Amino acid sequence: MTDTRDNRESSGSKVFVYAMIFSLGLTLVFTLVANMLPQVQGEAPSEQMVDLGSLTMDDFIALGKDLFENKGTCTLCHKPAPLGRAPDIEGADMVAVSEERLADGRYQGEAKDAAGYILESMVDPSRYVVATWGKKGTNDAESPMPAVDKPPIQLSTVEIDAVIAYLQAKDGNEVTVSLPSPEAAAETAAAAPAATGAPVPAATADEAMTKYVCTGCHALDSNDALVGPGLLSVGARLSTDEIRQSIIDPNAVISEGFPPAMPADFADKMTVRELEMIVELLAGKK
Amino acid sequence: MKNNSPRQLISQTPLAILLWVIFLVGFVPGISGASTVQAAEGTGVETRIAPVGRVQVEGQPIVEVEVTAADAAETELIAAPRPSRKDYPNIGVSSRAVVWILAQMHLFFGALVLAVPLFVLVIELTGMITGDDRYDDMAHEFMKISLVGFSLTAIIGGSLALALFMLYPDFMAYMMRVFGAQWLVYAGLFFLESFFLYTYYYGWNAFRYGNKKWLHLTLGLMLNASGMTIMVLANSWATFMMAPSGVNEVGAVVGNIWEVMKGPLWNPINLHRFIANIAFGGAVVGAYAAFKFLSTRDPALRAHYDWMGYTSNFIAILAFLPLPFAGYWLMAEIYAYSQQMGITAMGGILAWLFIVQAVLIGTILLAGNFYLWSGMSRTEGSVRYQWLIKYIAATLVICFLIWVTPHTLILSAREIAALGGSHHHILGPLGIMPAKNIAVNLMLIATFLSFQIYRRSDKVATVSWAPAGNALIVAIYVVAVANIIFAGVYYGYFTNTLYKVGSSVIQVVSTLVVIITGIVIDSLIFKNAKTLPSHWGRIPDRAQYALFALPIAFTWLMGLMGYVRSSVKTHWHVYTVMKDNSPDNFIPTIGYAGNMITIVTVLFLLMVLFMFWVANLGSTRQPEASADGGATV
Amino acid sequence: MNQETKMGPAATLVATVIAFVVVVAVFYGLDHFVMSIQGLPLNADLTPAG
Repeated sequence: MTDTRDNRESSGSKVFVYAMIFSLGLTLVFTLVANMLPQVQGEAPSEQMVDLGSLTMDDFIALGKDLFENKGTCTLCHKPAPLGRAPDIEGADMVAVSEERLADGRYQGEAKDAAGYILESMVDPSRYVVATWGKKGTNDAESPMPAVDKPPIQLSTVEIDAVIAYLQAKDGNEVTVSLPSPEAAAETAAAAPAATGAPVPAATADEAMTKYVCTGCHALDSNDALVGPGLLSVGARLSTDEIRQSIIDPNAVISEGFPPAMPADFADKMTVRELEMIVELLAGKK
Repeated sequence: MKNNSPRQLISQTPLAILLWVIFLVGFVPGISGASTVQAAEGTGVETRIAPVGRVQVEGQPIVEVEVTAADAAETELIAAPRPSRKDYPNIGVSSRAVVWILAQMHLFFGALVLAVPLFVLVIELTGMITGDDRYDDMAHEFMKISLVGFSLTAIIGGSLALALFMLYPDFMAYMMRVFGAQWLVYAGLFFLESFFLYTYYYGWNAFRYGNKKWLHLTLGLMLNASGMTIMVLANSWATFMMAPSGVNEVGAVVGNIWEVMKGPLWNPINLHRFIANIAFGGAVVGAYAAFKFLSTRDPALRAHYDWMGYTSNFIAILAFLPLPFAGYWLMAEIYAYSQQMGITAMGGILAWLFIVQAVLIGTILLAGNFYLWSGMSRTEGSVRYQWLIKYIAATLVICFLIWVTPHTLILSAREIAALGGSHHHILGPLGIMPAKNIAVNLMLIATFLSFQIYRRSDKVATVSWAPAGNALIVAIYVVAVANIIFAGVYYGYFTNTLYKVGSSVIQVVSTLVVIITGIVIDSLIFKNAKTLPSHWGRIPDRAQYALFALPIAFTWLMGLMGYVRSSVKTHWHVYTVMKDNSPDNFIPTIGYAGNMITIVTVLFLLMVLFMFWVANLGSTRQPEASADGGATV
Repeated sequence: MNQETKMGPAATLVATVIAFVVVVAVFYGLDHFVMSIQGLPLNADLTPAG
């Protein structure tokens, strides 16, 4: 056999060392590539199924914060100026604000204290509308905010209390709402599977609209602006593709006079069918 | 030992067919099992409806049916558990990391010991058909070096089960409830597989010739059938976790075991793992051959291990080529099942991972091609094709760079969201960027070309129409490449999304046409071809390092894809049905995953070394040191 | 030209031309077929007909 290679005497151990160095080096290269890329961690959505039986007040406040930022969809609109479509909450001491509101001559509600005022503003937002924040054309008589205890947001009593606790506690105020009673806890726990269960795909366009809380910000039966533009004749204004784009990449083109408030993650959340059903429904509104 | 082997390539034609036969055989138990379940259910309409509604078939007496305790239990559906964080034992180190390492090691060894008997059987059959004992010896040696792997797979699998039951008790309780008696079938199959394994391996020389050889081949077939059934059963757990079926929206079992197993992702995963296992197994045994080749200066041994390395590489690359298409199918099914899951995999957090994947696949293709080119020095006939190599190399490098350039892949998470929504809404996964599609298809074609010229390098055609056949092959290459570029550029950039996505199918089909017609036409042209002498063992030492690079890259790639497959479930144990509330319910960063994958890769490397060492120990006799080394072959 | 082959240069040229024509025709048909089974018909000049 012709041997064109060098005459280096190869021994098993020497080959072994070379092979190991080569293999480990290659592994190291792959590891380095993986570490050079942008590092993103996919946090799980914080758990809403809390064991209410063993809840401490700190947990309850944390639950309220989470509801405020996620399920309650509050931060969609309640943002610092000039982004917000509703008064800023996180930047204000809500207990102090509430007391100002209660003292306001325009106040017609029944609340006696800050907690009561906050509760009332959540379940019956039109009872007192902060000046200039009312629905357009109603002269601050009607609030654009959906009631949080009704669909689509549908917070339970316990959850609303948690939000109040959070709003009180975040600025160092005393928390006046009490921890949920065992009965309330049991009730919430029983209702919870339906509320936090599997993301069941919507079957109809209306269901999908409800599921993604479109009507929280958009009026379907008028062209008046709530938080976002009214959608009564959106099909006449926009093509199918434009509607689709407005949903999956809302910040690409923003209707004049509106802040970039619409969530940009619908593309991640909706199924293809849901998206197409909504697009079809809206395209038909002419 | 002979230096040229005109017949070793004969194995290539029956290979694909045989693999499929074995694959199908692997499915038979699953399918027949399902039909018995259904038959048991079909016990007359009266018996089934009577307990429910007290109805009767017209003209027939009322059937008295006793409502047994079992029936009562069946009607009561049990939802999946909802463990809270305190239900997860805390052992001080990350439970997920423990399970990750064990599961990945189990998968590595499982893949290896499923794949090796598969191609061993094909090689053995080739040996029987050609009457060439070297095939038989090589097949036997492949079995020998992977034998310890079976025990290692079982040991690690047992550790994995123990870790899962201890660290994720609620999850495992749920899985037990869903899969029920299937676990017993699974366990039973291990005994069956062990029986066939040991009779197949230890009976090798006892059943070597004549009719007994058929007995031996049957044992091998049964070994593969039981192994394949074990794999598809285990796959059904993984696919159930990703896309549960046979349960309702809160996880209560409503279907029979077949409906639970036959989820939307089961067969895509089965196919993908089946093919990938072969590539992986080929790569690992190739490293063994490379190491043995480099460790000896005995020309006969070098020739033997060169041939063994070549065969291993052949198996690895041949199985690797269709893998992207199987991956395509899997991704398409994932998107069809849940767009959200598809986008999690292809966009958002995990999107960067496909850069690493491109680096790994690029490494595999370059190493495989480099080995083939180096191997052309074995034969004088290769000079006819040497000029092509630089063009193939250039194509591979350019396409590789296009592929890893992030701008052709993703820009940002937001853009991916937009891409996912706007481009994926019909055929989701196919909507990757056209430039990338072109690059990947051209890389596959270039690799196949390397392969083809290697196969041709020791042959001279004798059929009269050879120039016409060559012209046809050249025409197919040129037109297919032009078609791939045309489809990618024209439909990709100048038409609408639907056509852009649809055109990727044109590209895939074009690539497949090249591969299939290439194999068919070549096998016809080189019928009764004159064979030029080829010299096994005449290959540069550096070429062997390609055989080390392949298993390392394959191992790492498997680890990486395992990370994606598992991560797309996000914070669910069983997607949409059972939430993961453990402290590790987040998707780790790519860097953390990379470190984990490196840990398992190195662990696997060490255990494989142990496996090889044990294999050689068996044929080592102390007083005679290296004298009987040749007797092992 | 290889001595084993029994085709002359002219015949080889003709074969090459025919091969290209045939392969182009096959791929042309393949493009139409592959797109149409996906519900994406093409015009004769391969532009989208949908």
